[in-house]
Amino acid sequence: MPKVTVDGQEIEVPNGATVLQACELAGKEIPRFCYHERLSIAGNCRMCLVEVKPGPPKPQASCALPATDGQEIRTDTDMVKTAREGVMEFLLINHPLDCPICDQGGECDLQDQSMMYGRGATRYEENKRAVTEKYMGPLIKTIMTRCIHCTRCVRFSEEIAGVDEIGAIYRGEDMQITTYLEQAASHELSANVIDLCPVGALTSRPYAFEARPWELKKTWSIDVSDAVGANIRLDSRGREVMRALPRINDAVNEEWLSDKGRYQVDGLSRRRLDKVYIRKDGKLVPAEWNEAFAAIAAANPKGSIAAVAGDLVDCETMFAAKALLGALGSDHLEGRQTGLDYDCSNLAAVNFNSTFEGIENADAILIVGSQVRWEAALVNVRLRKAAKRGAKIFVVGPQWDTTYPATFLGEDAAVLHDLPQAITEAFSKAERPAVIVGGGGLAKGALHPALAFAEQFNLVREGWNGFNVLHMAASRMGGLMLGYAQKGGIGNIAKAKPNVLISLGADELDYGAFADSLKVYIGHHGDAGAHAADIILPGASYAEKDGTYVNTEGRVQFAEKAVFAPGDAREDWTILRAMADALDVSVGFDSFAELQSAMIAAVPALGEEGLADFGQLPNADASIRASGAISYPIADFYMTNVVARASATMQRCSSELLHHDDLKEAAE
Amino acid sequence: MSFLGKIFTWWNGATIGTSLFTMRRGEKVGTDAQGNTYYRSRNKRDMTTAGSYIGAERRWVIYEGANDASRVPPEWHGWLHGSFDDVPESYLPPAKIWETEYVPNATGTADAYRPQGALERGGKRVKAVGDYEAWTPE
Repeated sequence: MPKVTVDGQEIEVPNGATVLQACELAGKEIPRFCYHERLSIAGNCRMCLVEVKPGPPKPQASCALPATDGQEIRTDTDMVKTAREGVMEFLLINHPLDCPICDQGGECDLQDQSMMYGRGATRYEENKRAVTEKYMGPLIKTIMTRCIHCTRCVRFSEEIAGVDEIGAIYRGEDMQITTYLEQAASHELSANVIDLCPVGALTSRPYAFEARPWELKKTWSIDVSDAVGANIRLDSRGREVMRALPRINDAVNEEWLSDKGRYQVDGLSRRRLDKVYIRKDGKLVPAEWNEAFAAIAAANPKGSIAAVAGDLVDCETMFAAKALLGALGSDHLEGRQTGLDYDCSNLAAVNFNSTFEGIENADAILIVGSQVRWEAALVNVRLRKAAKRGAKIFVVGPQWDTTYPATFLGEDAAVLHDLPQAITEAFSKAERPAVIVGGGGLAKGALHPALAFAEQFNLVREGWNGFNVLHMAASRMGGLMLGYAQKGGIGNIAKAKPNVLISLGADELDYGAFADSLKVYIGHHGDAGAHAADIILPGASYAEKDGTYVNTEGRVQFAEKAVFAPGDAREDWTILRAMADALDVSVGFDSFAELQSAMIAAVPALGEEGLADFGQLPNADASIRASGAISYPIADFYMTNVVARASATMQRCSSELLHHDDLKEAAE
Repeated sequence: MSFLGKIFTWWNGATIGTSLFTMRRGEKVGTDAQGNTYYRSRNKRDMTTAGSYIGAERRWVIYEGANDASRVPPEWHGWLHGSFDDVPESYLPPAKIWETEYVPNATGTADAYRPQGALERGGKRVKAVGDYEAWTPE
């Protein structure tokens, strides 16, 4: 551990630290543009200059200089300040003065740092360099004249996303950042370069000229577009969520966010359910709340009521529905809409036990039926990290475009019973082997064979649990913890023929199986569920209610309410509470706080933010055999939930990036 | 204006002091469309505008009615502030037919602008629409 002196203060820094990191440890702020904690070091902006002794008598770029024992670093001398001012002046030679019309204004690194190091006036009379516009797809807007060549975006797509999409052409002052052949950047993390860009060269296309950062209300929330539970910040103005940005959480999303989580928010103001509807003579007509509740009471729900949770609901809503059903004497709860019926008797067997942070350290990974890139784009980032550290990755299932070297073992799930030699070799040698079972694998009965695999190769060992199930719905783990899982799955509920079916935003459900039930849809978007429903009660989306979410690794997280629900829509639990009154039963809570404490009393793990403990893995049932060709459940990455399907941005992404439709504008 | 009103109010036209001063030292220059009368000092040398370095003559207005500076129309405003020395009628070009009548600032009066939905305009607001798109079954 080298000891260095920063501005007279002696500190010890970890081995391999750079001078910049040493200065950060000493509490000194070093200005930078190209350096980023999660990317490789480029050292090309020269903003982080410091004075270092021993060494040549000139300022040194601290981000690329290793800290060594006995270094004397100064960050506060005149030389350092003058040098940084010089660098800033060079950067500003070609940077346009368009802050007033730039979307980065107010959150721009260059703007902020020029407050400290910028000269008051310009010394240049020559024309500024102009760069032709580049097209980077429906999400990224480019104004490349503003680019300062930090190459963060290039490094991100190469290193983190694993897709060689963005690069630089020409040299020196004439360098230009572009996508190859100006194709749209099409991987599912592409929009993160917008956050990385320290200036306004890459900005958000859907958010262009919509709002200024200082006029937005920032709310901490949780992303529900997949089961990763990425930490996000919802920026809202008035009733409208303007944008979603990732929050830093090293355990979950680091500081990235999938494009779907980021850009589905414009779907929150389209196709909204804002009135009560009742089906009369085969047609849905607007109605009053009391009418709707009376109709439900008339259907005789006592003892014959079922609840199906959708993919986006929070734990509180599910618990409120569970309490209502309990009061009515029923336990027909289910969350796995598509008909999966894997064994949920032990939640450790359906959890991502390695954790996202842990899976980075795995050295042999078997993926069974999961297209990780689409089902959990941020987990794919972790897998890529693992692969870069030398992990061998095998996939059972149809080919998909991995961002790391992987061996595909065919589509048939039965391969789990007849392992190829490559796997047995890799896994018997591996120190931290892991298996990931995805939705496609669960559908083919791969859960118990995977457990058997875990036993065979000793996946659970001291300090390591390599058994993982990767879900796709934000509500799944919370639902399983609350008992939203029947033996026999949704089919069992359909067989029970309940009088009333409460659908908590379930849009993937086959409503044909419930033809005789009164279908009550409590949700926020008009989609398949609303069209099939007999009664629609308008609820709140994830941005419009407080709620607890559990991600696929069993991490309990709390999301806050950003905006109010539109029209007559109410927070879901209040609808269920009012319904309890109308049905003349008691659910035992009158406020959100009471609901939460009742929920925490029932499932204590939901009361504590962080990883829930599910205990030991169960023993594998060798009689269950996996068989059949695996198919992936997601057909279109941008269209997986109601919010995304309502979002114009996601529709455009889907048609342009996945279906390669020519845009109308381009054709004209 | 009654004699007593002249003594006890200062918000309509000139006070007695100003009237006496104007009678003694002032020279009438003209009257605008609203009846405000404009004066300048009769003796240029000893009556410069306070704070003027160039010895500009003093000019003032006696309002016909409320003492409200915004009642000075733009053409006389120019003369009053020394932009030009001639009276507006001879100095400025004739008014164009599309020029509207000058209206003093209405703030604080009954004629003041009230936005839609203000209580003074009945308090009825237009319905907020269009911040979200509602779903309909069709």
